[in-house]
Amino acid sequence: MSNEVRRFSHGSRVPGWDDAVDLTKEPASVPDPATTPVPDELRAEIEAAMAKYPDRRSAALPALAAAQRHHGWCSPEAIEQVACVMRLTPAYLTAVATFYDMFDTQPVGRHRVYVCTNISCSLRGADELCERIEQAAAGDPDISVRHFECLGACDIAPMASVDGVYVGPIELDEVDELIDDIRNGRPPLPRKQLRLRPTADSLPLDGKDNG
Amino acid sequence: MPRPEIKMITFSIDGREVQAPENTMLVDAAKYGDVEIPVFCYEPKLGQPVGACRMCLVEIEGIPKLQTACSTPVKDGMVVHTQTQRVHEAQEAVVEFLLLNHPLDCPVCDKGGECPLQDISFGWGGGRSRFVEPKRHFQKPLELSPLIAIDRERCILCYRCVRYSQEVSEDYQLVLQERGAASYVATFDGHPYVAPFSGNIVELCPVGALTSKPYRFRARPWDIEGAGTVCTMCPGQCNVTLTVRDDRVLRVLARDHEEVDDGWLCDRGRFAYQSFHVDERITSPLVRVDGELRPVPWDHALDVAADALKRAGGAVGALAGGGTTNEEGFLLQRIAREALGSPHLDSQRAPVDRRSLLAIGDPGLQATVPDIEYAHAVLVLDTEPVDEMAILDLRIRKGVRRRRVRLAVASARPSALDGNAALSVRFAPGGGPAFAAELVAAARGEAASDDARAVVDLLRGAGEDVVIVASERVGAALAALADALGLRDRDGAGLIVVPSSANGRGLREVGVLPDAGPGLAPVARPGLHAAEMARAGAEGELTAFWLHGVDPLRDLPYRERWEQALDRATDVIAHAAFLTEGIREHATVVFPVEAYAEKDGTLTHPDGRLQRVRPGIGLQGRNRYGWQVLADLGRRLGLELRVLTAGMALAEVAAAVPFYAGLTQDEIGGRGIRWQEREAASAYPRPEGLPDLAAPTVREGAGLRLGTFRSIWASPEVEHSPALRFLVPRQRVEMAPADADRLGLGDGQRVVVSANGSRVEATVTLRHAVPAGSVFLQDGLVRDAANTLTGSVVEIRPAVTSEVAG
Amino acid sequence: MEKLLFKDIDEPGLNTIDVYRRRGGYERLRKALAMPREAVLNELLASGLRGRGGAGFAMGKKVSFLPKGAMDVYLCCNADESEPGTFKDREIMQKNPHLLIEGIIIAAYAAGANKAFIYIRGEYVLQADILDAAIAEAYAAGFLGENILGSDHSLSLVVHRGAGAYICGEETALLDSLEGKRGNPRLKPPFPANQGLYQGPTLINNVETLSTVPFIIEMGGEEYAKLGVENSTGTKLVSISGHVKRPGNYEIELGMRSRDIIYGLAGGPPDGRKVKLWFPGGSSSPVLTGSDEDLDLPYDFDTMAKAGTMLGSGAIIVVDDSTSVVEVAYKTAYFYRHESCGKCTPCREGTNWTLKMLDRIRKGEATPMDLDIIASVCENIMGHCLCVLGDAMAMPVSSMVKKFRAEFEEEIERRRQEADLASAMPEPELPLIQGAVA
Ligand SMILES: Cc1cc2nc3c(=O)[nH]c(=O)nc-3n(C[C@H](O)[C@H](O)[C@H](O)COP(=O)(O)O)c2cc1C
Ligand code: SF4
Ligand code: FES
Repeated sequence: MSNEVRRFSHGSRVPGWDDAVDLTKEPASVPDPATTPVPDELRAEIEAAMAKYPDRRSAALPALAAAQRHHGWCSPEAIEQVACVMRLTPAYLTAVATFYDMFDTQPVGRHRVYVCTNISCSLRGADELCERIEQAAAGDPDISVRHFECLGACDIAPMASVDGVYVGPIELDEVDELIDDIRNGRPPLPRKQLRLRPTADSLPLDGKDNG
Repeated sequence: MPRPEIKMITFSIDGREVQAPENTMLVDAAKYGDVEIPVFCYEPKLGQPVGACRMCLVEIEGIPKLQTACSTPVKDGMVVHTQTQRVHEAQEAVVEFLLLNHPLDCPVCDKGGECPLQDISFGWGGGRSRFVEPKRHFQKPLELSPLIAIDRERCILCYRCVRYSQEVSEDYQLVLQERGAASYVATFDGHPYVAPFSGNIVELCPVGALTSKPYRFRARPWDIEGAGTVCTMCPGQCNVTLTVRDDRVLRVLARDHEEVDDGWLCDRGRFAYQSFHVDERITSPLVRVDGELRPVPWDHALDVAADALKRAGGAVGALAGGGTTNEEGFLLQRIAREALGSPHLDSQRAPVDRRSLLAIGDPGLQATVPDIEYAHAVLVLDTEPVDEMAILDLRIRKGVRRRRVRLAVASARPSALDGNAALSVRFAPGGGPAFAAELVAAARGEAASDDARAVVDLLRGAGEDVVIVASERVGAALAALADALGLRDRDGAGLIVVPSSANGRGLREVGVLPDAGPGLAPVARPGLHAAEMARAGAEGELTAFWLHGVDPLRDLPYRERWEQALDRATDVIAHAAFLTEGIREHATVVFPVEAYAEKDGTLTHPDGRLQRVRPGIGLQGRNRYGWQVLADLGRRLGLELRVLTAGMALAEVAAAVPFYAGLTQDEIGGRGIRWQEREAASAYPRPEGLPDLAAPTVREGAGLRLGTFRSIWASPEVEHSPALRFLVPRQRVEMAPADADRLGLGDGQRVVVSANGSRVEATVTLRHAVPAGSVFLQDGLVRDAANTLTGSVVEIRPAVTSEVAG
Repeated sequence: MEKLLFKDIDEPGLNTIDVYRRRGGYERLRKALAMPREAVLNELLASGLRGRGGAGFAMGKKVSFLPKGAMDVYLCCNADESEPGTFKDREIMQKNPHLLIEGIIIAAYAAGANKAFIYIRGEYVLQADILDAAIAEAYAAGFLGENILGSDHSLSLVVHRGAGAYICGEETALLDSLEGKRGNPRLKPPFPANQGLYQGPTLINNVETLSTVPFIIEMGGEEYAKLGVENSTGTKLVSISGHVKRPGNYEIELGMRSRDIIYGLAGGPPDGRKVKLWFPGGSSSPVLTGSDEDLDLPYDFDTMAKAGTMLGSGAIIVVDDSTSVVEVAYKTAYFYRHESCGKCTPCREGTNWTLKMLDRIRKGEATPMDLDIIASVCENIMGHCLCVLGDAMAMPVSSMVKKFRAEFEEEIERRRQEADLASAMPEPELPLIQGAVA
């Protein structure tokens, strides 16, 4: 029997809702270090994070982030490794990982492009931009494009975060160049990066648009 | 730790003045004024309220916003309204929100009729919905584990189950995934939710989202009756309510008893009721004819048994265990001693002499179960609560989590509580009594190991109220330790001694011991203890065995010797519920033993609470009450026992055990009573000094030291409950990675573990926390059990026959 | 007006400790450490500084709530900045991180805190890296660590990166997240000042609030209070975005006329367009319209509250008449539905339902009666939730329905007709819930 039940074509579907457990698996308790190998670098990174806080559990987010960098996504294996070092259960960490938008619990491309489609950006054409970027990257397994909520850069709307680098405002005709930069490992649209932008308040009020 | 004092205050609810204990949450305080405030997420057993469902909003004068009654402590002079327009609107709104995506499939829901969501929608809802969008629909029900089904459509995201998994059982296996409206209850990567206490979530779920697979669609609430009794599957003796339909037990629910179980059950207690109604149960007396056990009429079986026992002429070894009640144990020992003239009686797995038992059972040294929660420090010594007295595991966790009890664990095998402990120390397998002696030395300021000193420092540093939870086998040193720590006569401090069988304490106190009679009185002619009986049997000195709720091959050490003994014995009379190997192969007469659901009698909890086991269903098959069978046997052996009812049997017990004097079934009632709290307690015999404490164990030569343990899942009830069968343990050898490396073994590999020529097969399980030099095997298994090995130093090599992981 | 926070903000290298110190950086710390704790607190009280993160609670008062005792006191700087339209904290952290650090050290001194954390949203990678580098510099220079500048004040400071969840800006959710949990808000009381991080007393303030502290020490609280207007003292960073010619961050004195911000500083909407509506304080504030009455309102806490909305985080989003109010409402609801943590019923179910209703309007399936239901659902959310995220959707959406009811009704009708025409075509699918999508 298939797990897919879609009685309504427009009903929302959350992955996981329809999943039963696999009864052949053992219950998932805290992984035993004797049987869960963890790459040294990752272990060191997690242990360093744990040392920063009065309570080791506080390191859950940095540890998951480290595992995601290491494995590309928060795979079950990655989560088990974090669980093993932090002495937590993998379920606990899954609960944490699925809560936050930046953790990927499904495989994704090496490059993450978040396109802001929240109010300010969409007022400036973000929805169309997002669609364009998705099209341009379609079929490239290395690039994952997803629309994102406000990234805190409405001054450069419409904008995107490319592997953490903020760029904008992005014109529709710059999309191909942007994707090309990403594909070739170049900095994305260098002239449009937020880091180079002066504060609006320090510019003369000469009436020129800077949006 | 002193418990908080309760002060009564007066507040006003819906215009009436009501008295309630200060700082109780409004939801509970309202009940003092007969006002019900609806709740979903609030469940005080889960700890601090979370205020998530918003069902309990009420109006409090002086606070502009509506407040959640589940999280607002009541104060003197508070003025609360639950019947205003604003409150009604808010409650209706919450019900409407909760039902938006609820499938409203009550007609086919197992919870129907006993569902808080139905009741609250009926009582507080607006009775309409304005939601016209399609509801979420998903596949239902799905498996969450072999025991529990989950129907996520019905889930109202009240957080109860996940809070339970994180804050009560602390297995952290069940979690909420995703966020917001997309949240759902799940486990890691499709692993099943299997944990010793998982079934409690079924009872916690306020809707039909989590249901018990064994109970699904077996009955509707109006078909069933509830019957209160006590589970006899381990010394925890949790209070339960049996759901009975047509004289069958269909479900077991917790019957909250704060002093015993705190309202939780382990999965064995919750699901093993299935074994009451399986065909494999013995429900008729059996007699061996031509090598085969055959059903026979009662009179015949009783005659055969009486003849056999008579024939043995005093060379009878009698053992009691399992769920044997005080009454049964008492009658058994009377018959053995008075009618058979045999002093050979035992109810313990490892021998502890009378003087030691007298000392550790002293009322001045006893702690109660709730003391664990309020103690300054708890020491868990040479016992694994989750396996040996499951429910204590949750109590200890609760103490640590909610009341910051300092926990020390001293054990040979890594413990499930290590993660909660402020200090965990390991000793060599079998070294419990010796380590306890070291603790005594440390507590007295004498020379002791660093570990022992560290434990004592921790206990002393935490405060005066120390509770020691220890296995009975530690023996005499426990009393010495309690005294050295100054625990005598302290309220809230003392010992909780975990016996080796469910009613171990009761059996001891009614005299099922080789060197003590009822009330732990000395006996003129001490008999052999269990291990000596095995030897004596093997050597032909004992010719008959009388086994009440015990199968020595399964339950006791020295299996090989027991095999010889039972083999050689002319007669083996057994009272059993299942034909386990020892009974099947060796019994000459078998009397059926009632399931606890049929039983009538009393048990003594390890903290001294006498509790009643009461029949919830009629006797199955041709079963008879255990006390009745013994009385009939006694009569045939020339001993008139004067018991015609269970109450009369209890009266006999109470007359013989001075510190139980005057106890009646009525006095015990539904909640039990601790004998230490009754006047008769003063009749407890004066302690008579202690034997010498155990000397430190010395490692014998090379090789790996074998430790054994019996899993909570190693029991015939589990084997015979279809739902639990998947949990029946298979032998595995737990070892340290270093030892495995040295021997060239890997995790999951099949190996042969041998000692002195005896051998068992097992699968290697590497455990980081196992100390190098020690290995652990399980007891109580059908095959390859640890008691098959005849030595405590073992060799391990790869199994040749197969290399497949099992 | 003289700038405080944005003074020389674009000076090259301001983010390094050398340039910062050359400009008088950390001198205010020296001054504060030479004062008794109570004196520092008194300056904060005198300044009238109100929190810049959204709620506008007086900072000095919050500090004075912290219990005195032997417990560990914590300070958390709220740098989650996820309220749509808000991007001011980003500018400070990126360009002048030492200002924030200095403010944190002084505030921690006043609060008696020895451990501080900056909870920064995970998306701000550049800013978090800059903060990390600046903190390392501050440690090396002896401004952080044990016995700062020879005083008895010690402080450790750790940058904690979030991972994409708006709710973690809510102060108690922030604490849970910082403790390594799902970012669910906690029940209040107990308030963080009494039982916050790791159950200890905790002071939580926004980046901008803390970055203002050095100026209060420098000028003196009373002098600072002369800036701005009564009950809204000082300067405020305003993030302005949407349909304006010069979007960006501006530092204003509180009480400035709104029109002067929207038109004067930001240049107003594109030529030929009129302001239809604007969010005065992030997307969770009830909207104001392009009417003269609204545009002439002084931009300060109390005036905004009196106008039925709030100053919030100081993020103005301008929408001109080219955009349908339905789309704005839909985007707003979409955001809060996506960001609801799911812990409490009214927010989880209410935001989801509202979004579905708004989507029906967009698809031409709604009737004007649905507007009443939307208003009623919003009503049922407001004041009934565990934290105010639910209200943050209900307030703006219901304000839009109320103030633009006629437009909603027109749209409902128009889209129904369009849908009828298109009914031969297959229905598009509702977007999948984001975050769950690969
Ligand atoms: C849903 C929600 C989101 C919030 N997000 C932020 C935020 O991103 N940054 C912030 O500083 N405050 C945010 N707040 C306000 C904080 O809860 C808190 O009031 C503030 O950090 C206190 O600092 P302040 O007094 O300096 O303003 C948010 C509040 C809510 C209810
Ligand atoms: S499954 Fe039941 S107990 Fe768990 S959150 Fe849902 S309604 Fe609550
Ligand atoms: S019972 Fe009070 S909020 Fe759930």
